[in-house]
Amino acid sequence: MRIGTAKETYFADEALFDTRTQRVWLLVLAALLAVFPFVASQYWLYLACLVAINVIAATGLNILTGYTGLVSLGQAAFMGVGAYTVAVLERRWGTPFLLNLLAGGAVAMVVGMVFGVPSLRVKGLYLAIATIAASFILHFIFANWTAVTGGTAGLTVPPANVFGLPLDSEFRSYWMIVPIAVLMVLGAANLFRTRIGRAFIAIRDRDISAEVLGIPLLRYKLLSFGIASFYAGVAGGLWAYFFRSVTPESFPLIMSIFFLACIIVGGMGTILGSILGAAFMTLVPEALKLVFGWLPNAEAMAVHLAPVRTMVFGALIVGFLIFEPHGLAEMWRRVRRFFHLWPFRT
Amino acid sequence: MRVVKWLVGTVTAAGLALAAPAQAQEEIVLGGSIPMTGVFAFAGVGIHAGIQDYVKIVNDAGGIKGRKIRYVFEDTAYKPDVSVAAFKKLTGSHKVSLYYGDSTAFSKTINPELERMGTILMAGASFATEINNPQKYPMQFMAGPDYSEQIGILLRYIAKEKPGARVAIVYSDSEFGRDPVEEFREQSKKLGLTVATEIMTPPGSVDVSTEVIKLRRASPDYTIFHGYVLAPIPQFVQQLKAAGSQTKFMGSFWTMDHSTVMKMGEAGDGFMGVMPYRYYYDDSAKAPMLEKIRQMRPEYQSTPYLQGFLTAMLLVEAAKRTLEAGKPLTGKNLKAALNSIKDFDTGGIIGVPITIKGNSIPVGRIYRADMKAQKMVPVSDWIHLD
Repeated sequence: MRIGTAKETYFADEALFDTRTQRVWLLVLAALLAVFPFVASQYWLYLACLVAINVIAATGLNILTGYTGLVSLGQAAFMGVGAYTVAVLERRWGTPFLLNLLAGGAVAMVVGMVFGVPSLRVKGLYLAIATIAASFILHFIFANWTAVTGGTAGLTVPPANVFGLPLDSEFRSYWMIVPIAVLMVLGAANLFRTRIGRAFIAIRDRDISAEVLGIPLLRYKLLSFGIASFYAGVAGGLWAYFFRSVTPESFPLIMSIFFLACIIVGGMGTILGSILGAAFMTLVPEALKLVFGWLPNAEAMAVHLAPVRTMVFGALIVGFLIFEPHGLAEMWRRVRRFFHLWPFRT
Repeated sequence: MRVVKWLVGTVTAAGLALAAPAQAQEEIVLGGSIPMTGVFAFAGVGIHAGIQDYVKIVNDAGGIKGRKIRYVFEDTAYKPDVSVAAFKKLTGSHKVSLYYGDSTAFSKTINPELERMGTILMAGASFATEINNPQKYPMQFMAGPDYSEQIGILLRYIAKEKPGARVAIVYSDSEFGRDPVEEFREQSKKLGLTVATEIMTPPGSVDVSTEVIKLRRASPDYTIFHGYVLAPIPQFVQQLKAAGSQTKFMGSFWTMDHSTVMKMGEAGDGFMGVMPYRYYYDDSAKAPMLEKIRQMRPEYQSTPYLQGFLTAMLLVEAAKRTLEAGKPLTGKNLKAALNSIKDFDTGGIIGVPITIKGNSIPVGRIYRADMKAQKMVPVSDWIHLD
């Protein structure tokens, strides 16, 4: 806890950002995000957009897994639902992109709630296996409902349009993806200041006790699935606009595992964890490429260095899990605490 | 005044003297999203070596009109989003004119960007039928027949060997696997062949006992596998041979590397398939380029190596023809130059002169596994689909 931040009102006590320092740093971050597209290369803009999409999906999964304690391996499939919804709406009716994204989120939400029904009877690994079914069933639908999804060849997606301006470059896409990601993250952070969010946490900590306390498990577990899938649907919709091509193989099971890894590495049950985890999992392989590229004779040794790089990435993940099981968010908190209490020891 | 003129003249001359070699030195950049890790690494490593070697051959011979080729690449782990990142990174830091893409998903994803940029000609590892559409993919091509054409070549061979034969197709439930199925049905009908059965297997499946029974009951004369690299082909081959089936097994390009087929063991003897290129060790005819490859790399080089090598050759040829016509290296000019290739000699990599009308080269040959000799041997002449 920060020293000298005595609260005088309940409103102040509930505030999402409760100190001036925090607000100043957030303003700095917002300014940096606004300036970034003007100084960054196409490559870094691409990575920023990709991280933002992954942050949305990981945040959704963190609501479900980190906060409600329901393990899901269907997040990528729900992203697929959002992506196909957006692709179909954009191709057939050319409806505004915000509407398409909302529809993508809504359809994914409904589908997610359907696949969330087993969560009422099973938990943990059993639920994870039940949600894998979502991946297989939805993959089958994507591949075989040819009239809508285009079958195995998939669909190409026209770029999103804002007042006739196509968002067809990284620079333009950035202004669509990053603000939506910021809004979604803020929405998730706010969720845990409400009854709904606290009910999720109560269910995670002990579902029987939560029910005794008056939290209807059916409603809240399905709601958690719904919200997580909504996030996945919006992320999938943005993915479709960003990559402009959606096929059944765009959202494999391994992608769901990727998101699970994001929240474990980042920190389960923390919003910051979703952001840091998604950024880590997306950017570290690229950063390793950069670092390995500096090695002498790297180009000639590429064939041998490439698998080594993959192993280093794997070792980093294992290292984090061993030395910081609470994830990057906990590391961040420790660093922050150091500065808060400096020159005293934590 | 005279001094000023002299100074201007000297500075201009010096500038020209400095600029001329700089311009002559301007490299032509060939970028690559190469899968050196991940599920497609077995091919990526070969493709990388093939591109590297061809670029070296061209550069050692002085480049194209004095301009050297520079090959820049990034590992993609065979993930489309990483491939796109590699593309952005390479095109952001180099003036890329030629590009090698690693997958169908990447080819489809990057297509709008290629059209928007209009500066790059791309080919790659994808032989997807959908990419073989110059209207939809105007800046791309493939260095061989598309998957439908590969199946067409196999069926043409079957129709010649055994008219009216019963044919079956076993394919994976993936975009790759499903790609030529429609064409398989149509071509079989057209060539007077009977479709004995069609079997789809889940991707990555190895327990295929029920499919084996179904295939045995259908008793086809020929069984074509598509959409796999290896598994579950050996499982099918071994179980069917053990059950006394007389069907002849066939595969498409990505299954046909020497090392892949040899992994089938004794049961793989007689396994046939379509190959757009000569094998590294095929010395049945004069092939100066293969000779050169053998000199550069005395050990066996895979079929993906040859695919990478030939793709680089065609990309460079397109650049050469564009520059010779005095045109700038734009995607449109490069593609037009590529499509001007007529009766082109690949140095024996493809056994017949090639012509590139659209986005593919619909030529191939049937090879058969000879397990005793531990070699793939040609059993047909080069088959050209018109």
